[in-house]
Amino acid sequence: MTSWWETIWAGLLIVALAAFTVMAILVTIGGAYDLVRMLKELRDRPR
Amino acid sequence: MSDAVLDALRETNFSTFDWAIVIGYLLVSLVIGILVRHLATDMTNYIGAGRSLGSWLGIATMTGTELGLVTVMYSAQKGFKFGFAAFHIAVLAGVVTFFVGLTGFIVAPLRRLEVLTIPEFYERRFDRRTRVLGGFLLAFGGILNMGLFLKVGSMFVVGVTGLPPDGLALPIVMTVLLVLVLVYTVLGGMISVVITDYLQFVLLSLGMVLTTALAIRYVGWHEIFVTVRERMGTAGFDPLQQEGGFGPAYVTWMGILGLVGCAVWPTAVARALAMKNTTELRKQYMWSSLSFLIRFLIPYFWGICALTFIANQADLEGLFFTPAPDTETLEIRIEEGNASEMPGGSESAASQSDPPPAAAPSTEPPLQDLYAMPLFLGRILPAGLLGLISAAMIAAFMSTHDSYLLCWSSVITQDVVAPLRKEPLTAEQRIRLTRWLIVAIGIFVWAWGLFYEGSDDIWDYMAITGAIYFVGAIVVLVGGLYWKRASRRGAFAALLTGCSAILSLEPIRARLAALVAPLTQLSVDELRQAVFSSDRMNLASLLLTVIVFISVSLLFPDEPDASVVGESKGAQA
Repeated sequence: MTSWWETIWAGLLIVALAAFTVMAILVTIGGAYDLVRMLKELRDRPR
Repeated sequence: MSDAVLDALRETNFSTFDWAIVIGYLLVSLVIGILVRHLATDMTNYIGAGRSLGSWLGIATMTGTELGLVTVMYSAQKGFKFGFAAFHIAVLAGVVTFFVGLTGFIVAPLRRLEVLTIPEFYERRFDRRTRVLGGFLLAFGGILNMGLFLKVGSMFVVGVTGLPPDGLALPIVMTVLLVLVLVYTVLGGMISVVITDYLQFVLLSLGMVLTTALAIRYVGWHEIFVTVRERMGTAGFDPLQQEGGFGPAYVTWMGILGLVGCAVWPTAVARALAMKNTTELRKQYMWSSLSFLIRFLIPYFWGICALTFIANQADLEGLFFTPAPDTETLEIRIEEGNASEMPGGSESAASQSDPPPAAAPSTEPPLQDLYAMPLFLGRILPAGLLGLISAAMIAAFMSTHDSYLLCWSSVITQDVVAPLRKEPLTAEQRIRLTRWLIVAIGIFVWAWGLFYEGSDDIWDYMAITGAIYFVGAIVVLVGGLYWKRASRRGAFAALLTGCSAILSLEPIRARLAALVAPLTQLSVDELRQAVFSSDRMNLASLLLTVIVFISVSLLFPDEPDASVVGESKGAQA
């Protein structure tokens, strides 16, 4: 018989995986933009 | 190692194409270090990437650092041994990180003060003496803490590629990986760390989602739950059951570790201090809470999938699990304190009424359960994807190593050496010293990994070595930031008292139990499980540190004109 805990952990795993996939896409795109901006900023700083 | 074990480990889908992917990634990391070298012109750029991280890049780099290969390995080991009950650690880590993001607890005031390291805050809030002591304890606990990273990471590479684990392969893999990390960290500092962390995030997130989907497809969603239920009973799902190896005290301690992991552990705080402002920082933490959840949850699940896979393979089950002993043998094993080696169980799991089903008889000692997950991946993932996952894992290994090396070396430079010198160090001298320290720590980690013969449970080792630093640090940080009566002497005494966490080490706990046993009605083993468990000992150590901090601060307050910074005095700095 499936217990409460089994249902909770199964649900958590599915939700977390879906949320992580969305986050990974956003961070990949946003991170690339941030990275380029950071490198430009560091390059242009006075030494 | 017998031929059967070696054959089992050699049987992998890892091909020449996979090697090409891995080597290609390693070369890219090396080139990045060389290309960004000229940007690391001063200490703020070298250890803080010029404080110019945007929130998306901050999330990627924080995930990259905190999702190390060692985390994946010990988490998979936890899932393999304790089943779904281990998931509570992931949930607590995620919830606490979200709370820190929502409130800015600890990290926001630290960022506003514009300090580069935590001990630097100690000096601004208390005095130089506290900074030096804090820096020393931080570096000492931290370097010991990363002592096994190299070895465990290399065990993954050996396990997944099918290299022989008992020959020269392990030390060679350790040496190659270490040299690569040292080169690009020494050259580029935090800037190259951030770039490689970003690459790792992209590779690893793709690899984790794909691998999880394939693992479920291979072993079967329903079968996973059935296997855990059959082997561990309800304790394999319920973290509050003492028999599963956890229980309420353990869960409480994991909540505190969740806070430490995101807001007190210096490598995580280093990211917070490198953010552009506190708004970006809080956004970074709220998003990263998902990474803090996932970094444990997915590897636990891989460990459970490996358990399901191995339990259903006659040739492998005999290698990882000793046959279920009869009652008499079981009692002897518990007396000897070996119960944690029981299949699918912890110390207390060995006393369950439904012992796991008998495995194939074997005269070999069981294979280290750390090899279970890489062996599982090596068997189920197709060529190409296996190379991608391995590159992602090696990336995870490298990005944790580079951040840790940079963190501990900069703490020694900024917080131990510089404050003790009469003549101030120039920026160039600081960077040069930090680079030498990175190399020295790297050599130590290499030697420690080769020669240290410790317990198999990596999580325990890491939690205790880390606690030497963070038990004192969490009290002094929170007290220093939010309690205006916190005093210099109180902080100094609290940092020293925090070292009592070292009493949680297994050999010391065993001695304490043996010492106390004659004075009680309980046996040594009952005492070790009921009183001197590592979670209870750590909680006691934390409580003692809080008491010492408050008492000494009240008994020996600072002079009224002491320069004070922090939230408690309106963050004047």
